Amino acid sequence: MITEETETFSDTVEEEAPVEACTKCTACNTVCPVARSTDIFRGPKFLGPESERYRSHQETAVTAGLDLCSGCKLCEVTCPSQVTIQEYIRRAQNKGAEEGGRTLREWVLGHTRLLSTFGSMTAPLANFGNRNPLVRMLMEKVVGIHRKRPLPRYQWLTFERWMKRHPRPRQTRRTVAYFYGCWVDFNERRLGEQVVAVLERNGIGVMIPKQKCCGIPAVVNSNMDLARKYGSENVRRLSELPADMDIIASSTSCGLMLKHDYAHLLEINGAEKVGARVYDICEYLWMLHEAGELDVDFQPVPMRLLYHAPCHLKSHGIGYPATRLLRLIPGVHLEEVDEGCCGISGTFGMKVEKYDLSMKIGSRLFEAVKAAGSDSVLADCETCRMQVEHGAGSRSAHPIDIVARAYGHG
Amino acid sequence: MKADIAVVGSGLAALVATRTLQQAGRNAVLIWPGLSSLYFTYATIDVLGYSDLTTTRPVEQPEAGVAQLIADHPDHPYALAGLEGLRSGTTLLIEWLRAAGFAWQGDLGRNLLLPTAIGTPKPSCLVPDSMAAGDLRRDDPIVFCGFHGYEDFVPELAASNLSRSWGRGEHSVRAVRITLPSFEPGNLFTSIDLARSFEDTTFRREVASRIRREIGVDGVRVGIPAALGLTHDTDVYSSFAAEVGHPVFEIPTLPPSVLGLRLFDRLRKHIQESGVEMIWAAPAHEAEVSDGQCRRIFLKSAGREQPIEARAYVLALEDTVDGALRAGVHSMVDPFFHEALAHHEMPTERTDESLFKPQPYASIGYRVTRRLQPSDDAGRPLAGNVFVAGGAIAGYDPVGTKSRGGLAIATGYRAAQEAMAA
Repeated sequence: MITEETETFSDTVEEEAPVEACTKCTACNTVCPVARSTDIFRGPKFLGPESERYRSHQETAVTAGLDLCSGCKLCEVTCPSQVTIQEYIRRAQNKGAEEGGRTLREWVLGHTRLLSTFGSMTAPLANFGNRNPLVRMLMEKVVGIHRKRPLPRYQWLTFERWMKRHPRPRQTRRTVAYFYGCWVDFNERRLGEQVVAVLERNGIGVMIPKQKCCGIPAVVNSNMDLARKYGSENVRRLSELPADMDIIASSTSCGLMLKHDYAHLLEINGAEKVGARVYDICEYLWMLHEAGELDVDFQPVPMRLLYHAPCHLKSHGIGYPATRLLRLIPGVHLEEVDEGCCGISGTFGMKVEKYDLSMKIGSRLFEAVKAAGSDSVLADCETCRMQVEHGAGSRSAHPIDIVARAYGHG
Repeated sequence: MKADIAVVGSGLAALVATRTLQQAGRNAVLIWPGLSSLYFTYATIDVLGYSDLTTTRPVEQPEAGVAQLIADHPDHPYALAGLEGLRSGTTLLIEWLRAAGFAWQGDLGRNLLLPTAIGTPKPSCLVPDSMAAGDLRRDDPIVFCGFHGYEDFVPELAASNLSRSWGRGEHSVRAVRITLPSFEPGNLFTSIDLARSFEDTTFRREVASRIRREIGVDGVRVGIPAALGLTHDTDVYSSFAAEVGHPVFEIPTLPPSVLGLRLFDRLRKHIQESGVEMIWAAPAHEAEVSDGQCRRIFLKSAGREQPIEARAYVLALEDTVDGALRAGVHSMVDPFFHEALAHHEMPTERTDESLFKPQPYASIGYRVTRRLQPSDDAGRPLAGNVFVAGGAIAGYDPVGTKSRGGLAIATGYRAAQEAMAA
């Protein structure tokens, strides 16, 4: 009923977007890469805000279909009302796992860091096993990881240990904290070395704070408690840094966890303050450039490169700083490909029942990559790179690889 | 982040403005607040369908109609953009559509008259080739074909409405329904699901043959819900029409619009792959103004507010559709300057109870100067280097006069010109 006491109405405008902000426009369903590729997934609108209206804390969670959400967040990127669609799905999925228990695979994939520590310690053996058809068959049967999915190669010398031996530059303008993440630590140390080299070349010292997994593998594998445990520990450590120290991440999804998901999805105390100091490495270098502080004395890098923007980079809301940066480098011929999600979404495309779907989602991208015939595909996210290499048979690299080459650190 | 010119928005006005800047060799960044209004609208480009909100007689010649409108209403947004803005913007868009691989037709000289999903004739100026066969200025009989279980298009309703207003004699309009292979009528499916299925050759052939069998006779044209493919629609349409053996036309259905999705996805992809940077997921708000110039606007990026520092700004927000303007109980406020754009004692004053009457909320927006700068009550610009385009301009009802597309083009083009000169 509309009363006549108009002054009792508040005239404030809601800034947060609760579930009621969903106008059921279906925009999210149209962009969802999973819903675009299979009709067994009803899409983010139905599983997110529409189901959310019927969820209650007391009742047992209904989780059917939720595992088909890959967590790419394109629904949230697209939502005209800024509804946190994917977060509703993740919370419901997590509640279901708390009530019904987690699978062995959820445990394994959620504990990426533990697994990687072990893999790195036994690197030659682990790498052999990960490529052995018999082991992979067993892994598929027991854990549920698809045998055709190439697994990341482990390296014995971790980035953390490399960094301990790395001589500190004598003169620096300032020092940044580098959240290198599990990938750089255990799988691609070279990327970490390049990040350090590029920053040091610009007079910026790099320190590495103690850190845990960012927690995203746990979030998408129905284990938000574990993610919160990791996240709280990271927030605690990063909060101890000097207040004016910027934090750099070179993995798109780690960076997004630190910037946004710790505070909003996991509701970790103090996370907002930390998140406001986190920068993607390319975002940071571009800021240096705009401030006139970036050394642009680049050597020519005569390469034909194709840039694929990861879905989670879109969620950062910073545009594509890598492309701006790369255009400063002489010789670089950069093209952009806009074919949407690559399909892997972290651990999603590793799962035995999701592998084919993941390859189908990425098929448009693979075709475009093959047609372009570039020297390398650039993507800021490590699992995008894995997927493009696997699906299109192309080479791939982090944009920093090209910047490092231009500085003579090939 | 610094940019030459920042365009905020994702609808047709924003796209036309960005393309105008790109073609002029300027460095534009497109800031995308969420999905484009194109997803919700018909996505035909309507320049002027009705000269005012009361007439039922459609405009036949849109360019002449706009010229008359400008002469009669010198403060109308069309008058501010100028006829030249409409002409140049349309030329630019038509060339762009061709470059991006679309097959469209139409020109400013005359309107087509196309049946809607409820069987009313609607004047449109530029349309995809796949809709053109529905033109009601032609006389051949029409068969509306629906699909069992697909509730967004009711062919019987379309046929019964159209036969009353169009009147080309008895039996000139009829309705049929077919069952789709692999779609269970009891299941829920949308136009997007259909559009994906139509990209499959076997599915398409089977549907075409069922339609052909159901219709039986020769010499008719067939209207079906717009679902003929999402990405390869040009090929899907031509092969499907050949297989049906009758002229086929698509009819836009309820949101999300398959036609709008095609249009936005491909134009966005085209402009991005040709080097224009798009910033996703960052609703823009808050203008920092000093000495009459906007110095920065702020984006809600992950973790923090991100400033965008440009020489000039084009605000191509999309009125009420994309939530760009913020509505409280009594007032509508813009996110950049916090100007009250409208005030109502009761929120019900914003709407008319009759859905098909002109809606007051439709004309809420920025008051603008003759150069399309947002202005205060006294007509003074809020910032000299900010220009408004599209639905965010106050004082017209784009839906009622069927002029949303034309105004987006004309004001998007003009705002971009002004931004370059600023």
